[in-house]
Parts: sequence; structure tokens; C-alpha cells
Amino acid sequence: MKFGDAAGFALASLGKRRLRTFLTASGVTIGIGAFVCMISFGKGMQKNVTAAFQASDLFNTVIVMPGGPKGPPSGDPDRQGRPRRAETGPSDAVLDDEAVAAISRLPGVTMAYPDISFPARVRFGGEEEFRLVQVMPAAVTSSRALKIKWGRAFASDAEAGVIVSRSFLRRMGQRDPAAAVGQTLTITSVTLELGRLLSGGLSGVLSGQGLPLSAEAYDFPVLGVTDISPFGDGPNPLESDVLLAPGPAAGIKRLPISSVWDLFRMQSGRLGYSAVTVRVGSIGGLESVGSRVREMGFTTFALADQFAEVTRAFYLMDMVLAAVGMIAIVVAALGIVNTMVMSILERYREIGVMKAVGASDGDIKRIFFFESGAIGLLGGVAGCVLGWATSLVINRVVNFYAARQAGVPYVDYFAYPIWLFLGAVGFAVLVSLVAGLYPARRAARVDPVVALRHD
Amino acid sequence: MSTPARPFIETRSLSRTYLVGDVRVAALDDVSLAVEAGRFVAITGASGSGKSTLLNLLGGLDTPTAGTIEVDGSLVSAMDREALARYRRFGAGMIFQSFNLIAARTALENVELPLVFAGVDRKDRTRRAADLLDQVGLSQRAGHRPPELSGGEQQRVAVARALANGPRLLLADEPTGNLDSRTSREIVGLLAGLNRDRGLTVVMVSHEEALVREFAHEIVRLQDGRVVAEAGEA
Repeated sequence: MKFGDAAGFALASLGKRRLRTFLTASGVTIGIGAFVCMISFGKGMQKNVTAAFQASDLFNTVIVMPGGPKGPPSGDPDRQGRPRRAETGPSDAVLDDEAVAAISRLPGVTMAYPDISFPARVRFGGEEEFRLVQVMPAAVTSSRALKIKWGRAFASDAEAGVIVSRSFLRRMGQRDPAAAVGQTLTITSVTLELGRLLSGGLSGVLSGQGLPLSAEAYDFPVLGVTDISPFGDGPNPLESDVLLAPGPAAGIKRLPISSVWDLFRMQSGRLGYSAVTVRVGSIGGLESVGSRVREMGFTTFALADQFAEVTRAFYLMDMVLAAVGMIAIVVAALGIVNTMVMSILERYREIGVMKAVGASDGDIKRIFFFESGAIGLLGGVAGCVLGWATSLVINRVVNFYAARQAGVPYVDYFAYPIWLFLGAVGFAVLVSLVAGLYPARRAARVDPVVALRHD
Repeated sequence: MSTPARPFIETRSLSRTYLVGDVRVAALDDVSLAVEAGRFVAITGASGSGKSTLLNLLGGLDTPTAGTIEVDGSLVSAMDREALARYRRFGAGMIFQSFNLIAARTALENVELPLVFAGVDRKDRTRRAADLLDQVGLSQRAGHRPPELSGGEQQRVAVARALANGPRLLLADEPTGNLDSRTSREIVGLLAGLNRDRGLTVVMVSHEEALVREFAHEIVRLQDGRVVAEAGEA
């Protein structure tokens, strides 16, 4: 029996029982649809996060923190796992201007700047909130690390002005980022007033009258607005909503500390920057720069390392999503087995006739294999269309709400690599063929004498 | 000194038993038979005498419990499933009482069926099937499905189908059982014509004494699975 004839027999049989074929193929369609939808979501997330990483120059970045296990680099010491893949240096080296300059001079380093931020009250358009103001060199604001969509970056480190995020503007009631450029933003910092401390005496402080603090306000024009990233910026150090150039930042009177841990470090004469961001010329230079910095007694943390972990996490996520999709496919496969066994019972006599006129076991098997394979092919192709259409609808709905709620720009949350569709159809056919194994074997073993007597 | 020609069909001590529950029932018991090539042999007997069992064994649809079957020099009783399928495809054409046509297929497609399993090209098999339908006088009914045909027409389609791959042996199991007497005569006449004109060996199971006497060269009578009488030319 020729290949085309077996296919023709199978299709004729399926065509004769259209409703049952449709219902059985629908099971495969739903299974493959769920599978495609889930995998395309996983791939979409991976693609978007990878793109966010790559677009931000972060692969070429090493974060340097004060060395050794003796003290936390910054933040809460109870959060032991952070940073997870940090390479720890052993010494008491202080991450001060001298160290930053030394790091800048290392071969392969294109830029090194300290992570300086201070708490302040920020007022814009009549609204006010407490924010952490981050000091950022002009060179960084004009790099790919920062996506300024409206306005511009700092022209120089001395330029008086601020760059704010779009989400900050939304909180401040400003929905039009372009209109915010040029408007004034007020930063109010807090500093110790030594005069009051002297006149009021320490007894006043201790009796609960409060610390002798004074606030000072500084006005800056908004120079640029950064866009909202729907996937965050990975472990982006540029996470503050308000950025200020080093020059004007130096002119703001403020406390020289940002946490109580800084007081401990200050006490031991080791108060330096909590972190320094180091850019290297190429990704290949990461390791050599990292090891040189560690030799200087600091702790390093390469974002590229974390990306490998992110990739592993996505791989795991794909596996979980695929497993969920597989459940639907297994159910569909059982549907195929059921349909094919029913088909054998209905066509028992026909199988007998075919055998009587010369069909071999292999011919009968082939016909039934083609039938189950055709159901798989039909369901697989329809499943790809269903999965694609469903993901489009979900994408539209999510984007609609994300844009309305948080102003997130339009993003494709799903990715459709061609291998996904080919693989899904191939998988559907494979599963269907496996599901057809038992029915095909059973059909081939039909005794023609018994079958011809069958009504 | 010339050796006598071997019979076209030869069975030796052929037995077929079935298990019905725990009871072993002998449908055919120690049947030895020889049929010369080009003969028209009728097998008669009461219902349950083993006629159809013998025909199924000769047609390769069933395998014997004991004994041997040799057809045209091939030991059919020793064939495996694949070889039996090939034998049914090319060696023996079968006709049944209930026609056994596939209802969803046209007369032409039914005749094409053995050619499909023989791997004949679509164009070639359509031509051959149309030619066979013409030979049995049904060229005008080629596009009709079995339910649209009369009993006699359906049996003619079945005869054309049995001839598709050019077998030398034609086996007919009660081919007139579902037909009126006039049509029965036409069908048996058609088989006799094929036997006479093409030299096909025909073995027909029938209980219609008059037809058998008119057309068959030999009559084999079975009773309780055994041959009780063999009669020469009627």
C-alpha cells in the first residue's frame, strides 16, 4: 500500500465522521493552544528581560562594595543573601574618592562613579513626597543605561537640573511627561544645625525635644524624564526617581550618612561610599577588573553573572509552563485513543473486508496511524492558531490595563519563535502517533473471519 | 514415463477446531481433498457441516489446527501473516454471501481495493477496475455506492473485486444466498464463464442442488466436518 493511499484512506474515514474528528482534534487544539500560549509567554518574558539587560549596558558593569565579611555593604545586614553572587574581598579597605580614582585607573575600566544618594523631600507641581535623590555623573545619564524619553541628559557634571522618572511624575499628578520638562522641582534636604545643638545643649536632645535639624530647599529645573520600563531594569543601580548631577549635589547641605550602618563605619573611620559602579570596555574585561578590584580589598558583583542565573530561572519557568501545557495534551491523547478504539469497533467488518482482499497487518496499522496522526496535525495547527490568538487577546488586555494603571508603554509579553510552532505541531503529531499505537496494533490483529461475520 | 500433474489445490488431513467456552468443537475433521486446475468444484452440505470453514482455510483467512493446504504449489498452511496477506491479495479471490462491499465506497473504488493493497498506481488501478466492472456488465454503475445497487449488482461488483489482482483461484462462499433464483443463476453462470473462458479454478460453497448440478464439475459433500462423498461431473 502506498503512502498516499494510506493517507487518503485515513482522511476519507475522518471526513466521514466529521463531528467526532472535530471534537477529538479540539482536545489536541486546546492542549497545544495552552502549550503554545504558555511557552510563548515564557519566551516573551525571557526576551523582554534579556532585551532590558542588553539595552542598559549592564552586562559591562561591576558593582564594587566595601570589602570583607565584617560589615554589610549597605542596607539591612539581616538580608544575608544580598548580593548573592558577590565576590567578597577580605579587607577593611574604604571605598572613598581615592579608591574610586584607583579603580578608574585600572586597565579596561571606562568609568567608575560612586553610588551617592540622600533622602530628601521632593516637591513638584504642588505635590510633595519623600524620595531618595541619586547623584549621577552626566556621562552615565547620556549612556544607554538611562532611557531618557523626554528632554535630555545632563550636559555636564556641573549642570544644575534634575532628571526624573515618568512614574514619579505620575505620582505627582503630572500625566504629560513632555510638559514637565522645564518645570521646577524643589529638593528639600535635612542637615544638622550645629548652632542649635550648642545653644540647646545635649540635655534638650536627650529630653525628647528632637534633634537639632534644619531643612533647606533647592530649586532645579527638570531637564529630562525617563520612561517606565515594564520589566524594571533588572538589577539596575539607576533605580532612583530623581537624579542630580554631582556638581549641584555637592552644594546641597545634607547629612553625610544614609543609614545607621554609616554611623558605625564613621566611628571606625571607614565611612566611604556604599557602592561604586564600574563600567568596563568589554564583557571580556569583567573578570580581570573584578579580580583586580578584589585584590584592592573590595567586594565585587557582576551583573552578567546574575543574568546567567536569570536565564536558568527562565529555563525552569519554561519547564513548569510546558508541564502545565502537557497535562492538557495528555488528556487530548487519551481522547485520541478513545476515538480510535471506537473507530475500530465501528469499522470492524470493514477491516475484515480489507484483510480479505489482501491488506496486510502493516497496511491496516498504517491507515490507523495516519488517522491518529492527521488528528494530531489538524489539532496541532489549530492549536498553534488558538494559542497565538489567545496570547494576542491576553497581550491586548494586559497592555490596556498596564497603560491605564501605570502608564507602562506597549510591550509584547509573548514571543513566537518559529521553532515553537513547528515544535508544537511536531509534538502534537508525535503524541497522536503514540496515542494511535495501541489502536493501530489492535486493528491490525483483527481476525478477518470473525470480522466478516460481524454485523 | 510421465509423472502425474500435481493437483492445483490439495489438502491433507485438514482439521480446524474451535474452543467454545471450555468445549473443543471440530468444525473440520481430517479433510483430504484434491482439485485439479481449471475445475469448478462445489462444496455442499448442511448448515454447520464445515463448508465455510473449509473455504476460509483455502482462502487464507483462517489457519488450520492440523493438516496441510497446498495451492498452486505454495504451502498455504505454513504461511505467516504477511505471506497469507500476499496470498489473499494475489493468489485467491473471494466472494461472500453478504457481498462484503464497503458501503462508503463506490463500486469502482470497491473493485480498486485489492489493487490499492497491491500498490498499483491510482491511474492504472482505476483503468483496471473500470475494465473489470465492464466485464461483469456494470460499467454504467461504477459511480454508485453499494446501497444504491441491487443484490445481483453488488455480487457482480464483488466478483470484479475478486478478479482485480488476477488470481488463478476463485472462492465463493454461498454467493447466491442473498439473491433470487434468476439472479443466482446469473451469478453462478458468471463464475462458470470465468472458469470456462479464463481457466480459473472455482470452488463454490452452495446448498442449491440444482445450480450446483448444472454448473459444477465436481461436488464435495461435507457432513459434521468430514467429506462424505465426492461426485464427478454432474
